[in-house]
Amino acid sequence: MKFNLSWRYLVVAGLLGVFALAVVFEIIHIQTDPEIKVLIGRSANVVRYYYPPRGEIYDRQGRLLAGNVPVYEVGVTLELIKDPIDIADAARKYLDRDYNEVLTLLANPPEGAKFLRIADYVSAVDAEVMIADQENWVGEPDENPLAAFGFIAHLGRHYPENDLASNLLGFVTQEEFGYGGVEAKYNNLLSGIPVALLIPTNPRRAVELPEIPAGDSIILTIDRELQAAVQEILNQAVLETNSKSGTVVVMDPRTGEILALATTPTMDLNDYRNVDQYFPNDGYTYTPFNRAVSQAYEPGSVFKVLTMAAALDNGTVEPGTIILDTGVFTYGGWDIYNYDRNAYGYQDMTGCLAHSLNVCLAQVSTRMGNDAFYSYMQRFGIGHLTGIDLAGEVPGRLKLPVEQDLPSSDPAAESQKWYPVDLATNSFGQGVSTTVIQMLMAASALANDGQMVYPHVLYATVQNGRQHTMSPQVAGNPISADTAHTITEMLAVAVETETKRALVDGYRIAGKTGTAQVPADNGYSDTLTNASFIGWGPADDPQFMVYVWLEEPNTEFPWGSVIAAPVFRQVVEKMVVLFGIPPDAIRMQLAGH
Amino acid sequence: MENITQIVNKVKQAPWRVQRQWIGLLLLAIVMAALVAGLSINVTTRAAINGRQVLMLTRGTEDMVGIDENKQENAAMETELARLSATEKMQARAMALGFHPATSEEITYISVPGYVDNPPINLTTRQASLQPSVMKVEYSETLFDWLTRKMAAGVNP
Repeated sequence: MKFNLSWRYLVVAGLLGVFALAVVFEIIHIQTDPEIKVLIGRSANVVRYYYPPRGEIYDRQGRLLAGNVPVYEVGVTLELIKDPIDIADAARKYLDRDYNEVLTLLANPPEGAKFLRIADYVSAVDAEVMIADQENWVGEPDENPLAAFGFIAHLGRHYPENDLASNLLGFVTQEEFGYGGVEAKYNNLLSGIPVALLIPTNPRRAVELPEIPAGDSIILTIDRELQAAVQEILNQAVLETNSKSGTVVVMDPRTGEILALATTPTMDLNDYRNVDQYFPNDGYTYTPFNRAVSQAYEPGSVFKVLTMAAALDNGTVEPGTIILDTGVFTYGGWDIYNYDRNAYGYQDMTGCLAHSLNVCLAQVSTRMGNDAFYSYMQRFGIGHLTGIDLAGEVPGRLKLPVEQDLPSSDPAAESQKWYPVDLATNSFGQGVSTTVIQMLMAASALANDGQMVYPHVLYATVQNGRQHTMSPQVAGNPISADTAHTITEMLAVAVETETKRALVDGYRIAGKTGTAQVPADNGYSDTLTNASFIGWGPADDPQFMVYVWLEEPNTEFPWGSVIAAPVFRQVVEKMVVLFGIPPDAIRMQLAGH
Repeated sequence: MENITQIVNKVKQAPWRVQRQWIGLLLLAIVMAALVAGLSINVTTRAAINGRQVLMLTRGTEDMVGIDENKQENAAMETELARLSATEKMQARAMALGFHPATSEEITYISVPGYVDNPPINLTTRQASLQPSVMKVEYSETLFDWLTRKMAAGVNP
């Protein structure tokens, strides 16, 4: 009996010992087996992607122009699908997806996929309806047609002002890529850097997740209120004059800050999927997203301010220099006439500008000569990109005398060559093309003591709560301060005498009108014109510069002085109120204090 | 010789005493191992719970708004505020209240000694600067580190 008991104890002890050894062996095996090590390595970490929210865009007063809202990625978990027809039906009903497309997608899911995306950037309102219906299903859970749907919230772009400054802001596509304006130009800055992190699954190896910085926010130089006012004025002007398009840009000539930029057409930035309807580009029609920077045109007589400034600075003429205007001036084998084909007799330089005499300015530029004239035009930046921080800028075209000997075999190339008559016609803005932004940059030298500034729309960036404010950049000194003051005074007199529609009560304004013919296949169109006006003020201390361009107006009097000058006046009247610029008399009085 | 053997037998402990001492040592080792295992489980559990809480804070639960969701809600509210105070809406409200856009003739400028015009925009204070947080040492130290730290704290309280 005693023997039997001992034997049983020994067997139990032996089995327990074997079990313990087996456990120890398995522990050692797990710790050392290479295959298991690989398996552990695979599952020890999971890769997780973090997409930082896109930076916001504010106006110069800190008012939001582009923000973010939650949107949903809606998809289905493939193993939960009971009937693909239910899914396709729900996708059609809730997500406005094509029934057959969804069925095809479900029938051919990507290899290895567990979750299939049906739609993205679904608005919170639409997604919440779907989620509510999924949760409030009253039938058997197995029969819920929405059971397989999953919803992943993330942030998507939203523009609370809809079409305000749309041509300047641009928009963000579903691929999170900026298109047009600052959204494209500062895409890398705004979007931040997506981060992929290896997250240990073992809680004992928990590591602190790094702070994923959001994209930088940016503050623009534009003022929301002024932008809205300028857009309203421009839309009204385009409507009244039946213009093909219109563009108005307001800039601070002291800093190059763009205070407002309005151009047509605009678009509701939240409706970016239909961008092609707003800006048709079908091979026959080309509609630039932002005409102020992306469309060069022959500016016409507004260009005379640069010619006159160059001639004054060069010493070719003085304000009192008299020129006899006989109504025609022959140069390079071509006759040049005034816009009305009249002769204006003896005129000083102010009279030439006030009456906008082509004959006079052509004589001025030819007296300067090729070298001096084109040297000044290049110093003004004509024919070159300004470098403005907006997407899609074009350089315009300034033909140079060195291009007269270029070989050419077709008429199109022939028209690109420089001819001697170009020196005369370029003086009044014909045969040369510029963008609105280019003209503003060049003319900033006239309003800013001879110092030309780079136009820009970025006021500051905000990164991790810290603001970095940009400094104005000088683009050169094409003319002296004395010349700048002289031409401004001449243009102020010209406005007072001949362009009264541009006058603003209480403020002395310097400015110049322009009515340019539109180039056609063989020369210039007899019917189409471009009406422009450039002006700045107050004349003794310029704080704003406004450029107005109405493209191909279809009205009884399509002259710049008749239709563009009043737009300038309306913009300035709004501007001085919104920016608190007192009338000249009060400003002088306050300065005296 | 016999005396010596008697003395040795007296000094030498009885077999049952030796057996009891071995059992005692074994029990002591088991208790120590249990203590270490208990501490280890405790630390592991706390780390797991904390990790889980971090996950819940980040993602949120049915009863609690997560950090991600919170950020999304903040962004949505800021954008909604901007939408409600958009130029067009504000102008319409102002008009409905009987206001109209001011003209330069309606503005009176007065000289106010010491008045400083609106300072340039500065959004620095809108978002608190995020300082990187420092993870507590309990989340990364080993049991031995913890014991050493506690002992050091005991020596130099």
